[in-house]
Amino acid sequence: MVHYSTRLDTAFGAISDPTRRGILERLGRADASIGDLASAFDMTLTGMKKHVTVLEDAKLVTTRKVGRVRLCSLGPRRMDDETAWIARYQRMVEERMSRLDAVLEREKMKGDQR
Amino acid sequence: MTTAVKQQAGTSVVTTPSDREIRIERIFDAPRELVWRANTEPKLVAQWWGRGNQLDVERLDVTKGGRWRYVEHHGGQSDGFEGRFAEVVRPERIVQTFEWDGMPGYPCRNTAILEDLGDGRTRLVETSLFFTKEERDGMLQSGMEQGMNQSFVELDKLLARIK
Repeated sequence: MVHYSTRLDTAFGAISDPTRRGILERLGRADASIGDLASAFDMTLTGMKKHVTVLEDAKLVTTRKVGRVRLCSLGPRRMDDETAWIARYQRMVEERMSRLDAVLEREKMKGDQR
Repeated sequence: MTTAVKQQAGTSVVTTPSDREIRIERIFDAPRELVWRANTEPKLVAQWWGRGNQLDVERLDVTKGGRWRYVEHHGGQSDGFEGRFAEVVRPERIVQTFEWDGMPGYPCRNTAILEDLGDGRTRLVETSLFFTKEERDGMLQSGMEQGMNQSFVELDKLLARIK
């Protein structure tokens, strides 16, 4: 259980940062080297390496050495999975729609009182 | 499918019928005329569209060619959304563009159809059509971002599903 929540903390921490979400989004389109990512996000190599390590620990990203560069790809725990996006989007829609329910309920009551 | 199973009110069903679309289906326990009003009268829209955040309905001219603009306020920040009506057929059909201030120049086109279920309930089917798959996926992903404040339990479910 302890091990389990540690794993969860790691993943949550990894995606709570906007830069790291940006990295995942970018890697969802194509693999990229740490150097590519650093320049895309206007960061130093060292800074980018730290972000990539956090994502790697959370198994969201994997890296491999190709010649002299380290290439990053989305990891086994893929965040670009469409069903996951849809589930999130659905929650957002439902937050809105349940409020519309409440408005409709109130308006129906007003109509009854007339 | 027969109507033996009464479709339940109160849960949105989100699907992706094609690479460039997002489809939302939802049943409301209210007559169609009322659902139409809740979607087209500024005072009523302001009460639900912002998902609990303050919403200013700056403009809502529900006629063909008319414009709409909503500004949502949350935690000292604000997000503007706007578009134009392409088709307005009261009380059953609205086609409009939808554009977020944060991504100007990337509108999608929303077609909303309200179906009177004949028992005092209304089915809403809203389809958003994007120019590209990438634009659609960006929108879906923003839904994911919205969910970031959710509990660890929810994150657990998500991760369990996609790992």
